[in-house]
Amino acid sequence: MAGSKTINARLLEIQRMSTEDGPGIRTTVFLKGCSLHCSWCHNPESISPKPQLQWLQANCIGCQLCVAACPNHTLSYIDEQIVIDRNICESCGICVEECPTGALEIMGKEVTVDEVVHEVLKDKAYFEKSGGGITVSGGEPTLQADFVAEFLKRMKENNIHTALDTCGLAPAGAYEKVLPHTDLLLYDLKEIDSNRHKEFTGSSNEKILNNLLTIYEWMNVHELPKTLWIRTPIIPNTTDTEENIAGIGKFLAENNIHPDRWELCAFNNLCNDKYLRLGTRWKFEKYDLLEEEKLDHLVAVANNPGINGAKIIWTGSAKTKEEIISRNGNEPIPVDYCRITGLPDDE
Amino acid sequence: METILQIQKIKEPKKLSKRIQWLRDYYFSGVDRKWNNEFTAWTTGTAWDIQYDELTYYIVPETYPFLETFRASMKQTARKVKTPDDFFQWSLPERKAWFVKETMVNYVPKEILPGDLIAGARFNLMSSKCWTEQEAKAVNKLIYGKKGSRAEMKWFHDHGYGNSGATSGHIIPGYDKVLKTGWKGIHAELNAFYEKLTETDQNGSKGAQLRAMMTAATMPRELAKKYSNICENKAKQETDTGRKAELLQMAENLKKVPWEPVETFWEALQALWLTHMLVMSDENYPGPGVSFGRIDQYLLPYWQKSMSDGMDREFGKEILKTFWIHANTAYDAMIRVGANQGITAGYGQLITLSGMGPDGKDATNDLTYAILEVIDEMSPILEPKPNVRLHRNSPEKLLNKVIDMISGSQGAPFLLNFDERSMAGMMREAKKGNFEHLINKNNVYDYAPVGCLENTMAGNDRSGTVDNNLNLLKAVELALTNGKDMNQFVDPITGKKEKIRQDGPKTGEATQFKTWEEFKTAYIRQTEYIVKRIIDLYEKSESIRAKYNPTPYLSCLVKGCAEKGMDVTQGGAEISFTTVEAVTYATTVDSLLAIKHLIFDKKLATMEELIKALKNNWEGFEVLQARAKYKTPKYGRDDDEADAMGYFVMETWTNEVWKYKTKSTNRQFRPGMLSWNYWVGDGYVMAASADGRKKGQFLSNAICPTNGADINGPTSNTNSVGKVLGGRTENGDWEDFVNLVPNGTSHTITFNPSFIKDAEHKEKFKAFLKGYIENGGTALQINILDPDMLRDAQKHPQNYRHLLVRVTGYNAYFTAIGRELQDEIIARISHEKM
Repeated sequence: MAGSKTINARLLEIQRMSTEDGPGIRTTVFLKGCSLHCSWCHNPESISPKPQLQWLQANCIGCQLCVAACPNHTLSYIDEQIVIDRNICESCGICVEECPTGALEIMGKEVTVDEVVHEVLKDKAYFEKSGGGITVSGGEPTLQADFVAEFLKRMKENNIHTALDTCGLAPAGAYEKVLPHTDLLLYDLKEIDSNRHKEFTGSSNEKILNNLLTIYEWMNVHELPKTLWIRTPIIPNTTDTEENIAGIGKFLAENNIHPDRWELCAFNNLCNDKYLRLGTRWKFEKYDLLEEEKLDHLVAVANNPGINGAKIIWTGSAKTKEEIISRNGNEPIPVDYCRITGLPDDE
Repeated sequence: METILQIQKIKEPKKLSKRIQWLRDYYFSGVDRKWNNEFTAWTTGTAWDIQYDELTYYIVPETYPFLETFRASMKQTARKVKTPDDFFQWSLPERKAWFVKETMVNYVPKEILPGDLIAGARFNLMSSKCWTEQEAKAVNKLIYGKKGSRAEMKWFHDHGYGNSGATSGHIIPGYDKVLKTGWKGIHAELNAFYEKLTETDQNGSKGAQLRAMMTAATMPRELAKKYSNICENKAKQETDTGRKAELLQMAENLKKVPWEPVETFWEALQALWLTHMLVMSDENYPGPGVSFGRIDQYLLPYWQKSMSDGMDREFGKEILKTFWIHANTAYDAMIRVGANQGITAGYGQLITLSGMGPDGKDATNDLTYAILEVIDEMSPILEPKPNVRLHRNSPEKLLNKVIDMISGSQGAPFLLNFDERSMAGMMREAKKGNFEHLINKNNVYDYAPVGCLENTMAGNDRSGTVDNNLNLLKAVELALTNGKDMNQFVDPITGKKEKIRQDGPKTGEATQFKTWEEFKTAYIRQTEYIVKRIIDLYEKSESIRAKYNPTPYLSCLVKGCAEKGMDVTQGGAEISFTTVEAVTYATTVDSLLAIKHLIFDKKLATMEELIKALKNNWEGFEVLQARAKYKTPKYGRDDDEADAMGYFVMETWTNEVWKYKTKSTNRQFRPGMLSWNYWVGDGYVMAASADGRKKGQFLSNAICPTNGADINGPTSNTNSVGKVLGGRTENGDWEDFVNLVPNGTSHTITFNPSFIKDAEHKEKFKAFLKGYIENGGTALQINILDPDMLRDAQKHPQNYRHLLVRVTGYNAYFTAIGRELQDEIIARISHEKM
């Protein structure tokens, strides 16, 4: 126990009541720093291992205490915008401390295993009732394998189901540390064509494919991980091709890999502002959600008879079709006796 | 008709028969209806007579400006009922019992609606108070005098303390007993009690009370006879043979019940309805909180008998549906006043479904499901309001039905009540009020909520569940100001300014406090003061009601009254609590956290600055306000330190409440947390608060965290609630559960619709409810994130800065994502509900 306190991690966020990162109700621990640089990344703040300052305009009251507080004169206030000179900013956090509204935030903080354990145990009752547990995600968690191994071990000591979300590109020896404590492995296969993979993510996919083969062999001879889910992001004009999905299916079938589940994760366009907050722009900012028909079709393509037993689904949101209707004005809207909810507190 | 973007705002009723569809449509045609159940007023004809009982509206501050108007208009429209010559020589309860009976049986018109299967239509009554001139004078002085109840309660509310008044309803009468023994049995019992009295007692108040109750006990029989005749006459004219048979059966039912014991399901619902509606007539109060209790338990034998005798299950549901329509006519009371045909709020004739039975076993049965189907098919409809009780052994089938019903509408069409935590509270009140012989581990599972979620026992319990509503935040204000109002009171109508007076105790100049402990001590003393103050105020209306407003009919249905020869308004019930409901809880906790954090721990401001900021409603102090709002710990985030402050506040005020009993009626005060709409209205009355709230902004609702504080999601919100109620310890009150607030606590959580979007997620949501049983509070209202709320967030982003939208596990602050994407999310959320 005493020793574990010394292992720190760069934490991005702990998200409770996650319903999308594995079975049941989960708490997802997002670590900072990634081994890939996917052009579509939905959590761009998770890529860099370093702490990063960001400014949320919606929360700013323009008091400019931050501008005055910064010892390096990193910040300026121009046209009601806080401008961060990222060449100078050391993410020291002085301005964050000074900011009265929380408009300035440091993404990424140092935490101990004990701290994270304490936080996630708060939802143990919900894990037990739902067959849920914790998921370690990122970034790429295996970049901080010592922390992850210790954390997962502590979770198993508490009889909590563990999941690890990995992009498949890990430092040498990392998987051996974490897999013995992982019940469910969420493994990304994003693009089967290695050149395209490199183009999209900054790395070719050979190592990722090989790692999967090795891990699958490991799973055959070890107790854990018990379960394997493959996840493929479906990104417009990149990974959303029939060839890619069919290719991944073929790879799995040829190598006799039988995941318990294969999720096609639909493109999501909610992260534009995250890029803006980090001072960059997103390559996909103009893209719309995918059509439901397309996602259904890709699921059909993924259904390779060679991967028997896998539950193949798409997850996420597809484009909606809006309808214009008339509201029937006759019936009174029921008002609750006990409480009025959804009211703003300013009118 | 306006054309708007598709929102599945209102669920549509389904599978309704022609009969029910017609009755439902007719009901919703509101003021256009030929028939309605609006108040009719009746008088003894004396010059001093009045009908309107304002005491029962003291807890509805919106009505204060209209008390005179209501009183005058009822008096003006009251029709005379001929009274016997020696009427005013009788005791008051006997006068009242006779008058209500005479009016209901012989004066108020009686109708059967087309297709209806249950008789008993008009019941909204404003009866004479039946006072002698002397009594009327005495009451007038007590109410309208300089130190009278009205002036006192108005001062109390104007100055931000809250409100208090002896309120009708909010009780589960002993309906199960009526079904079993009939009113005949109750009458015989009353007679036996009367015969047992000594001659002196017979000639005294006990005798008078019992005679009054005996008169009242014959009212349902006489009324049923009248309705039976109407059914027979209608049957004679009816050409449709099916309908004719129904009317004849109704006539038969009414010849028998509610006087005789019930045998069939149809008889049971007929007996139950007539008995119930007459409570509202007797109290001159349409509905609020006159609750049915565990109807799926006590109606079950009749349901089973009729089913085995060959009743079609759908026909059984059809009778229930007509019962539902009847319950909704309570709203007709003021049908011509205000918008929505007088429907301003749910009245809360509560029914309780499912829940624990003996030995921790589940009590769900076929009738539970039949009633849930009725609710599902009838909704949206307000009455009767269902509460579904959940516990560790609730069956999967029930939970599945509950989740399906939630996902099929914009929010749960019922409130969920959680047995383990609720029963812990009931066990606690048994200990605190010395009622362990009446509430103990052998019967506590038979508790049921009234009104909204206020837990009581059934048939022998009146716990005044909404009678006192106290703004805990006032104690923080007084601790900051050495016992005086922060702001000068200006009468909104006359514009008259009132001098600020020393109202609370002098607990020291806050600016001189060196430590948090000193401030804390001042807060505790001011809390003691405000609790004492509401208890003293309550005594005014409670003592008037006890002496001048008997309800002998209701008293027949509450065990203890006959035994003691005492009206329920005098504390006749076996279990007789009255409740202080705490309002502004989270605002109070967060304000204390802010004072501790900003002034004492981090020293980011001085006490002088803070007080100045509050007096100036934070204007000119925006930075300090922002720190208070956004950079201090808050209750509701599962943050142990903040929740410890929450527990401190909870323990302090509840301990104080347990110290008191009413003087006039010997009723023990108990704590509860329901905020009705006060958290909205009193936000305009109370001064700015240290948590960053401006005057005019809403206060916190019941046990919910303050608006915007809930940033860690539903599980953390739930855990905080459970912790401040006492959590789970070795010395629990029910197993290891503790509940400092026996009346129960109102908790609302709003979910993204994606939480219940498919079968897999519904399972997860079900697991959340199971987790709530372990970690949460007593009652939960589930709302589903409404597109309208998101539209409002677009307009007022400052109020929604913590609003997270989760789409496929992806979190985004709604206010930070740009207009186009916001629109898309709104469209998507509308879509996901379909």
